[in-house]
Amino acid sequence: MRTGRLSALLLALLLALAACGGDTATTTVAGTDDTQAPTDTVATDDITKVAFVYVAPIGDLGWTYSHEQGRLAVEALDGVETTFIENVEEGPDAERVIREFAQAGNDIIITTSFGYMDPTLAVAGEFPDIQFVHISGFKNAPNMSNVFGRMYQPRYLTGMIAGAQTESNIIGYVAAFPIPEVIRGINAFTLGVQAVNPDAEVRVVWTNTWFGPPEEKEAAEALLDAGADVIAQHQDTTEPQKAAADRGGYSIGYNTDSRSFVGDSLLSAPIWNWANKYVPIVEEVRAGTYDGDESFWGGLETGLVDLASYGPSVTQDTIDLVEAKKAEMIAGEFDPFCGPIVDQAGTEQVAAGACMEDGDMLGMFFFVQGVIGEIPEE
Amino acid sequence: MIRFRLERRLDPPRYLNWVVPVVSVLLALVASGLLLLAFGANPIDTYVAMWNGAFGDIFGGEFYSVSETLVRATPLILTGLAVAVAFKMKFWNIGAEGQLVMGGIAASGVALFLPDAAPGIPQNLVVYGLLMGGAAILAGALWALIPALLKAYLNVSEIIVTLMLNYIAILWYSQLFTTSWKDPAGFGFPGSALFPEYTWLPRFFNTRVNLAIFIGLLAAVFVWVLLSKTRAGYEIRLLGDNPEAARFAGVSMFRNIILVMLVSGGLAGLAGMGEVAGISHKLQQGLSANNGFTAIIVAWVAKLQPWAIVLVSILLAAVFVGGDQIQMTMGLPASVAQVVQGVMLFFVLGGDIFSRYRIRVVRQHAEVTA
Amino acid sequence: MTPEPEGGEVAVAIRGLTKRFPGVLANENVDLTVRRGEIHALLGENGAGKSTLMSCLVGLYRPTEGHIELATGGEPLHQVDIHSPRDAIRLGIGMVYQHFKLVANQTVAENVILGVEGVGFVPNMKKVEAEVAELGERFGLKVDPTAEIWQLSVGLLQRVEILKLLYRGAEILILDEPTAVLTPQESAELGVTLRHLANDGRAVIFISHKLDEVLAFSDRVTVLRAGRNVATIDTKDADKAGLAKLMVGREVLFDSDREDHDPGAVVLSCDNVSANDSRGLPAVAAVSFEVRSGEILGVAGVAGNGQFELAECITGLRSLTAGRISLHGDDVTGISPRGFIRRGVSHVPADRLGMGLAGGLPLTDNFIMKRYKSAPISKGRFLRKRAITTLSDEYIKKFAVSTPSSATPARNLSGGNQQKAILAREIDAGAKSGLTPLIVAAYPTRGLDVGAIEAVREALLAERLRGAAIILISEDLDELLVLSDRVMVLHSGENMGVVDAVQATKERVGLMMAGESVTQ
Repeated sequence: MRTGRLSALLLALLLALAACGGDTATTTVAGTDDTQAPTDTVATDDITKVAFVYVAPIGDLGWTYSHEQGRLAVEALDGVETTFIENVEEGPDAERVIREFAQAGNDIIITTSFGYMDPTLAVAGEFPDIQFVHISGFKNAPNMSNVFGRMYQPRYLTGMIAGAQTESNIIGYVAAFPIPEVIRGINAFTLGVQAVNPDAEVRVVWTNTWFGPPEEKEAAEALLDAGADVIAQHQDTTEPQKAAADRGGYSIGYNTDSRSFVGDSLLSAPIWNWANKYVPIVEEVRAGTYDGDESFWGGLETGLVDLASYGPSVTQDTIDLVEAKKAEMIAGEFDPFCGPIVDQAGTEQVAAGACMEDGDMLGMFFFVQGVIGEIPEE
Repeated sequence: MIRFRLERRLDPPRYLNWVVPVVSVLLALVASGLLLLAFGANPIDTYVAMWNGAFGDIFGGEFYSVSETLVRATPLILTGLAVAVAFKMKFWNIGAEGQLVMGGIAASGVALFLPDAAPGIPQNLVVYGLLMGGAAILAGALWALIPALLKAYLNVSEIIVTLMLNYIAILWYSQLFTTSWKDPAGFGFPGSALFPEYTWLPRFFNTRVNLAIFIGLLAAVFVWVLLSKTRAGYEIRLLGDNPEAARFAGVSMFRNIILVMLVSGGLAGLAGMGEVAGISHKLQQGLSANNGFTAIIVAWVAKLQPWAIVLVSILLAAVFVGGDQIQMTMGLPASVAQVVQGVMLFFVLGGDIFSRYRIRVVRQHAEVTA
Repeated sequence: MTPEPEGGEVAVAIRGLTKRFPGVLANENVDLTVRRGEIHALLGENGAGKSTLMSCLVGLYRPTEGHIELATGGEPLHQVDIHSPRDAIRLGIGMVYQHFKLVANQTVAENVILGVEGVGFVPNMKKVEAEVAELGERFGLKVDPTAEIWQLSVGLLQRVEILKLLYRGAEILILDEPTAVLTPQESAELGVTLRHLANDGRAVIFISHKLDEVLAFSDRVTVLRAGRNVATIDTKDADKAGLAKLMVGREVLFDSDREDHDPGAVVLSCDNVSANDSRGLPAVAAVSFEVRSGEILGVAGVAGNGQFELAECITGLRSLTAGRISLHGDDVTGISPRGFIRRGVSHVPADRLGMGLAGGLPLTDNFIMKRYKSAPISKGRFLRKRAITTLSDEYIKKFAVSTPSSATPARNLSGGNQQKAILAREIDAGAKSGLTPLIVAAYPTRGLDVGAIEAVREALLAERLRGAAIILISEDLDELLVLSDRVMVLHSGENMGVVDAVQATKERVGLMMAGESVTQ
């Protein structure tokens, strides 16, 4: 009897869904019904359709929010339509979602999380006439570019601000995952700190989260308890900044200028301006001039990465110093990872006068001197 | 004053087997429809989009959408069966998620390291498929053995232990793909190297549907035979229905807890192997995707019946896959898609009560009517 | 039709009451009037509709047809609607259920005022205690109002339940099978109390299927059969055989023919067996006895004096704290329940659905409980469906188990048919062991109707003649004395002595049940 009831239920569900599908097949919205397997759907009209795949909700005030600002800029262009899907897990679901966007007739698909790299590559192979843009990875295809920003540059600048501001000479860094991108940020930040304050140290706590409000808050509080008076971070929430504000400390944010949410305890933040890259990509694709398999790693000079506003407690002297350094980086006269750079163990990683290659930076897996903490391995 | 009272149906009429689910689904569609209207979306268009997302033009011979639904259903089938076996004995295994992850780790370990460690082993799908499957079953089963032993020897609540072991497994697995099992050629990015191609489960018809779904169907046959045709299954049913009667019949609770959790963990482990060897071909973020938890809903809706689990998995997968369209086509936020999915489950699960109970309207007024 | 009672004011009149459940007609056009000052017995087999009828009276069910008239609270007889137990109490109707509804770690007085309307947030317990004591004094229901519930014996708990009703001002008291848990002496005391209540001008309705008590306690008897009132008669005009015939609808034999025959070899021997109950407190204290082939050893005792635990000890379900058990001369102390099953021990447990059956599983699954590990029921690791069907059909036929099919969940059967199913399984399991079976039957007829009781008793007697050793645990002294060869009495887990059933009197066994050691 139990099976009977259940199969009835299932059948009912099927029938109900079938009824909906059947009735209205003729009124199906254009674009969703021509979902035949890989057909090439380059726009023949002059509307360019751009789709975005996000890993978190657009309201995260962090990473995804920054991409959403970029999408809004693209949407404002004439002749461009955009769609997005948020909260897509980095896993088996991602490939399906990307493929569905491809089948829905989009011309450009931008996937904004590292875990989408292989799924994007797989779908790109099936749709050679669609331009795919993957953010924060390292794989390319003729119609798939990889795009990222040299976030370590503004991080170096925020390190200078933190180093100038600290009184306890202990700066806390709430770190996400032990991957090169995060390690590079910690190192650049620390080099910036030491450039203005050689006595200060940067203490690292790992949360193993990108978006974990409670863990990130606790990590920040632990660092504050340990005497830190400035807190920096790599995650996509504002929790570490709020924790610092609650304890009367200062903070360095990330992703976007969160001053309106955090207040003036925010010293500054390394931020993304995705509009500065997304708008050119879309325009170049429309003009047929986009380099479809570019590996783009833009620094301050591209405007993709930048510095947020300065907090009122940052002195004019510091601002002058930071602005000067920023101008040097934009002019290509300075890079944080030019030698001499010595790791925690005292081994010289970059000799004086030399600068680190991009490849080495992408695989960076050591802490520079001045960082207190360990990279978990094994 | 009017009150409502639930009254147990002593002898539920047979027609309710049909009426209740149909009405539940219709109410679910109406309720979600109102919700969608409130968000400014046309419910009919939304349901059409969901249907197209989940099944596409299946009657027109187009199978891509339904193939994705089957892909999504595969781990649900295996984990649904896993929890059903344990639930049949009223052993509350909330740990299928962790057991799946352990199975995925073990299968990945075989695929990543065995070819170098033991080059003598023939490098083909049959041998490696069996090795990965065996490793996944073993890992899931051993992970499930921990709560089983704690329950059997010390009467520690399996609910807490299985739940907590999920997090241990998930953290260990993220540790692996961000550190020691990281792809040496991956610029330090998280994620293992790709498995050698001969370890990939074969895919069919140019879709992502792969051998794992047949493993799931075989597992359904296995669970069905185990529960309804064998002595062990009889003991499990007896323990589940009335542990005192089982004790009375000389059935060992101890032995069966261990047996059931080995089977349950093994099936969940296989689900993990299916995901890494059939879909991602590497160990990376997003292995489990809450399948182990969704499995509890699947098993419950399916009333622990193996064949029903297969069907419910597919339908639930359709709701998930079709749910993407709420965002992609209708442009509504992800949270609306989740609410719509929640409303549908709520009505289908909640509707069941009306096949067992009836609502009585009780008019309460002055106690005496002369 | 019920004759209108002579003398005495009518307290409650049920008029043409019909209660229909989907597919079941529980009561059909029942008329019943109960007067103030009378004890009215409601007699009937299980499933005759006694409980449903009373549930309508206390507001648990609404009648499908018909109505109820009441003359309580000083008002004349008038029609009422009773929607809930709360309504019923307000209208002066109260019921003592078979399963007491008391809070174990509160005092008697606290339990009495529990749920009473109009008691302040901080009740004056001194006053309540005095009132409870006064009520107890007046009706022969003496209980210490300050005692906590868990300290009281079953007989005293029942008094607390009655006190609860009196405190709430119940004028119509309904007692559901009140003597099932009492010793003969306690039952007699209850009879006195009921008489006090009636003399005080209250109406007492007394549900029972025990003919002796009905005859001893009541003024009038209403017999229900298949949901209908088949007769209401004055008790003084009734006799046992006549009532039984009304109840069952045919002649019933009361004296089971227990053929004399000489018992054979010792099957079970217990030597100073001690065991704890589930809370870890001593329950069985150094009990020694033997049971022989072809003999029924009755075990008498007030419920909760170690019988339940003893039954578990000699079926291997409970471990001993001391002593030794031998079966067929072999020491079996400490072996598994399965070991006992293999040595021919069958068990008809006290709690049918709690232990004897898996209620949610079909009858087939319940029938194979003792035999599923061996041929022909299973072959290797697999069950054989055909053999199971054959076995089930055989059991159903042989023991006349009334069921729609062998796939029906055991829970859906009536108590009598559940018990028949268990007996079928247990007797067969013992016979299949190849050894002289030992059948441990705990309260095998409790809650059954007359027809089912007969069937169970006949089955046990037949097994005795075939040579089985039988231990019969029962609360029904008549049953024990009729069926047993010898009767062992337990009190506080101790063996108070074993008496020959033919020579023993109820009074003597009753004294032993109350703790007086009597040796033969």
